[in-house]
Amino acid sequence: MAGSSACSKAPQWKRAGYLKQPTSRVAILKAADYDRPLASIVADGIKACKLDVAGKRVLLKPNMVEFDPGGVINTNPRVIVAAIEAFRQLGARDVVVGEGPGHHRDTEYLLKASGLGQALKEQRARYVDLNEDAVRSMPLESTFTKLGRLYFPETVLGADLLVSMPKLKTHHWAGVTLSMKNLFGVVPSAVYGWPKNALHYAGINESILDINSTLSLPRFAIVDGIVGMEGNGPIQGQAKKCGVLILGEDLAAVDATAARVMSLEPTQVPYLAEAERFLGNTTLKSIAQLGEDIGSVQQDFAVIDRFQRLKQLV
Amino acid sequence: MSELTDALLAAQNRDGGWGASSGSPSSTEATAAAVMAIAAVGRDSLRRRVEDGLSWLARVQKADGGWSPTPAVEGSSWTTGPAVIAFANLAPTSNAARRGWQWLVDHEGAGFGWLGWVVWKMFARMRVTELDPDLKGWPWIPGAFSWVEPTALGLIALKKLPPPRQDARAASRIQQGELMIYDRMCEGGGWNYGNSKTLGEVLQPFPDTTALALLALADHHERPANQQSLAVLERTIRGVQSGLALALAVLCLDVYNRDASSVRTQIAASYGETRFFGKTRSLALAVLALAGGASMLRVGRAQPA
Repeated sequence: MAGSSACSKAPQWKRAGYLKQPTSRVAILKAADYDRPLASIVADGIKACKLDVAGKRVLLKPNMVEFDPGGVINTNPRVIVAAIEAFRQLGARDVVVGEGPGHHRDTEYLLKASGLGQALKEQRARYVDLNEDAVRSMPLESTFTKLGRLYFPETVLGADLLVSMPKLKTHHWAGVTLSMKNLFGVVPSAVYGWPKNALHYAGINESILDINSTLSLPRFAIVDGIVGMEGNGPIQGQAKKCGVLILGEDLAAVDATAARVMSLEPTQVPYLAEAERFLGNTTLKSIAQLGEDIGSVQQDFAVIDRFQRLKQLV
Repeated sequence: MSELTDALLAAQNRDGGWGASSGSPSSTEATAAAVMAIAAVGRDSLRRRVEDGLSWLARVQKADGGWSPTPAVEGSSWTTGPAVIAFANLAPTSNAARRGWQWLVDHEGAGFGWLGWVVWKMFARMRVTELDPDLKGWPWIPGAFSWVEPTALGLIALKKLPPPRQDARAASRIQQGELMIYDRMCEGGGWNYGNSKTLGEVLQPFPDTTALALLALADHHERPANQQSLAVLERTIRGVQSGLALALAVLCLDVYNRDASSVRTQIAASYGETRFFGKTRSLALAVLALAGGASMLRVGRAQPA
């Protein structure tokens, strides 16, 4: 055992679950709208973070939750296409897109309605429904939940690089939903159900920590913050234009930066406060900020009443 | 129709089962849907394919009588419903059917626990959803809360395979399951996964879940909630290009004796465009729907035209 939480006397993560590095690079890149040539921006971000993708099997994990006529709920297909193009340009051996929607079982409907299905067809990129993939049971590398083990899709476990691609959103249970929460989507609903209530029941923040400590394969995050969501997210909030993509290898650092871009205090987000202890860097001094300054792109995201404490930026 | 049937036959694994997508390990739900679809096609030459699929299902049945999503997953769960529906139609007197039926009778969704129940009852303002936690259908996994889809599947299974004698527990499970589904209905009719509201926000129904819930409640077709939800399904299915939703809608409309011709036409168009994104369950349900196999999901007597 390698550590313990301030909230608990018992050790809560195993040695393999300690993923924190001394410092982390996070790039904030401006992207005013979805009509820009986003692939070059994504490629610039990957290069700025010094991520080596040559020869790797890359799994892009966007956030696709519900039918979204306004284009606010899900990671925009143009950002996903941009990531496919960027990783291919940088020499990735294979780029696959995989998601396991947590509410709506009908993935066909979501792929069609969101436009992602057509976009992937044009890119000749393979889509894997992570809810129904072959699975393997894995012991969890931390014990914030009492789950002990979780099944994970073989497509995730077999990837060389897992890229979490969330939408920049507030969340009515977790405060924010970003690259770490987005990994809920890799937990297979064919095993746990729609919604993935076993994770909610075990504790949302606790489940985020256990999933992220266990999926220790190389990871990267690309946050679609071109248009985000504020208020009662992740589904019923309002669109919030922010005009950025946020990228980095340390998911906790990316989420902390994204929270600051939303004018929300990361140390007040329970899973980020705990992640700082063993999963990644969330303090300003431990994150090497690349690209734009946070202040130059910061937007005031509204939150529901129960998360007003997040508005007190340190 | 033949193109879809051929694709379904080509997707059968050597072990006799079908995977969630072609080439993936055999899955309980995909196999249950596939054997019903191929049986509905009704060709003698395909009988062996159905038998192989049923044999696979019987082989992977757990010791407790239930089924897990795939053999790689420990513990029986919601996929017991689809497996029992398949056996109820194709081998109703089998030992597998009887044991699966018993598993469904013996398992129900969990409540909130006493503390949660007290908070729920005492602090109505703190409620994030509007549902009756005392109504128990079936959960996705044992020990979890009840949701619409596993409950609909459990209901169809129990109603399709009535016990050889009067069984008060089975009758009670059916009654509770029906009440639970009606309780979770969205405002204006139809169903999503099982919440009509969250934090005061009205949630919308999904066509596929609405069709499945209506199938499970078809023996109460005359109720206003059924008719209202049927209207929602007929409205929301227009323009949808999902093999799963279209196939379930056709099966539902057929059971309710409504005109499904335009939706039936959409199935072929959708398959031509997306190949249902490789999903075996959608393919199997589409074959079942196009082969006129709605009777396999019909509970109660046929509805009047």
